[in-house]
Amino acid sequence: MNIVVCIKQVPDQPTIRIDSERMTLIREGVESTINPLDRVALEAGLHLRGRAGGQVTVLSMGPPQSEESLREALAAGADRAILVTDPAFAGSDTLATSHVLARAISRLRPFPDLLLCGMKTIDSDTGHVGPQIAEELGLPQVCGVNEISLEGDSLVVERLSDGFLDTVEVTLPALISVNRDLCPVRSLALGSLETAFSQGNIARWGREELGLSEEEVGPKGSATRVQRLLTPASTRKGELVNGSPRLLVDRLIGTLEALGLLDEEDG
Amino acid sequence: MDKSGLLHGVWVFGDYRNYFQNRVTLQLIAKGRELAETLRTRVTVLLLGEAVHQYAMEYIAHGADIVMVAEHPDLRCYQVESYTNVVARWAEAFKPDILLGGATSFGREFFPRLAKRLKTGLSADCVRLEVDPDTGLLLQTTPAFGGNLLAEVVSSHRRPQMATIHPYVFKELPHKASAVGRVVYPEIEVKANTQVRVLRSRRQQARGGNLEDAQIVIVGGRGLGSREQFKLLFELAELLAGEVGATRPVVRAGWADEERLLGQTGKTVKPKLLISIGTSGALQYTTGINGAETIIAVNRDAHAPIFKMADLGLVGESSAVLPLLLETLRKRI
Repeated sequence: MNIVVCIKQVPDQPTIRIDSERMTLIREGVESTINPLDRVALEAGLHLRGRAGGQVTVLSMGPPQSEESLREALAAGADRAILVTDPAFAGSDTLATSHVLARAISRLRPFPDLLLCGMKTIDSDTGHVGPQIAEELGLPQVCGVNEISLEGDSLVVERLSDGFLDTVEVTLPALISVNRDLCPVRSLALGSLETAFSQGNIARWGREELGLSEEEVGPKGSATRVQRLLTPASTRKGELVNGSPRLLVDRLIGTLEALGLLDEEDG
Repeated sequence: MDKSGLLHGVWVFGDYRNYFQNRVTLQLIAKGRELAETLRTRVTVLLLGEAVHQYAMEYIAHGADIVMVAEHPDLRCYQVESYTNVVARWAEAFKPDILLGGATSFGREFFPRLAKRLKTGLSADCVRLEVDPDTGLLLQTTPAFGGNLLAEVVSSHRRPQMATIHPYVFKELPHKASAVGRVVYPEIEVKANTQVRVLRSRRQQARGGNLEDAQIVIVGGRGLGSREQFKLLFELAELLAGEVGATRPVVRAGWADEERLLGQTGKTVKPKLLISIGTSGALQYTTGINGAETIIAVNRDAHAPIFKMADLGLVGESSAVLPLLLETLRKRI
């Protein structure tokens, strides 16, 4: 089974700095990691390969330093890594991002049997890109999966959706996005990490290699635009109360009442 | 099909499953009304399923002008592909300006696919929606970077302008039995989806409770001191009809399951009220709670960072406050 795992490099600590000109995040100088749910997806992919054979390809779109995350994925056991990177891709929204990634996937030979990704990322938290890749490639999708088993040409997956536990059979090729319950992530042995970092087997594909025009990517290829960034923290009232436990409890209950979360006391 | 332009305006996806608990559609109709009045247009609710027309009157009573219904046996289960086919065709035919949907599990799976098919933008988990008085564009405010920032997003040249919204962000309008609206049944073409087959579907609570949908979330940190103290949070949650969340150190200590973990590597919650007890306020944790409407923090250290993001900070020993709070609530409820 040929599996593609889409991973995104995300800031490890939300140490946020903003490029106020371009209204994007400054990624330089921020510690980075593989998005945790993408790491779970990778683990699931490696596990499936263990049972069904085949190859695991990790694919990431991002600035050149995303290569670190791909090396980490190779160290974890992925067979090959592709970095989709081009200055023209900066400022892509989810519509444009999914377009670039779908194009990269469509160039793979043989076409993969399974696409895996995390259900959402810890930085932008939209969960859009997975289903949008599936749509562009005309593939079925199942999101938020927490169990995968292989049955013939299909996968049987389980996912919790709006209070229902669904068991779903999906025909391959398909896209599956995973949630955190799927499988524990093994920590890497230092040796494997060093080997992966010393080997330079990461393919790099840019806009031209993918046959994309400038209009299809970046801000031009995007439907949405961030017109302003705001800091929300200032809206908190920040009132500090010292006193006896009785006083503190009374204030807490008063707040519950004021929010309409507790019936006001009769009499 | 729509020569009058009746259906151009604001569309709301109608999610009628579990109608009496799931109020997100009603909340979006209320917001849709407000936007439609500013834009001098109408609110249309989309209703897809099998024998679902009875919900149409409910939506009209809660503020919808029009309900667009698609009834077909193959639409009985909420299914991304068949629903995308129907709604995309309608959107192409009637050209709505705005399309809003609830950020439910289904919504998170369905709206991105629909937006992609319509080659339009989508903003996720909006906390504010308003019409820009100068441009008439929908200003979609959405949390970015774990809620550390808010991004004001616009979609200036593609339609519809699409947004998903978490439950309880907006308030529903009261039920008005005398409300008048129109129910329409536009043409549909339904193809059964054979690629994704739901074999079984059974009702189940999430293992971490319904943390992500809870109106009240109570979070305990290491400052609680012991597993026994942490257990008191479950009693508190039961009294307040809330859910219990935990920080990473608490999960690591084994006081709570991983499913209750909030923050960077756990869940993100957006309750009406979050009570954070014995948590210092590390960034890895607070990124998961930024979206709470009101935050009350209890901590013995007046300088704990958690107080910087609390609406109400109570400086005291949780081991004294918590039992007294439980005792006081039990007497009242």
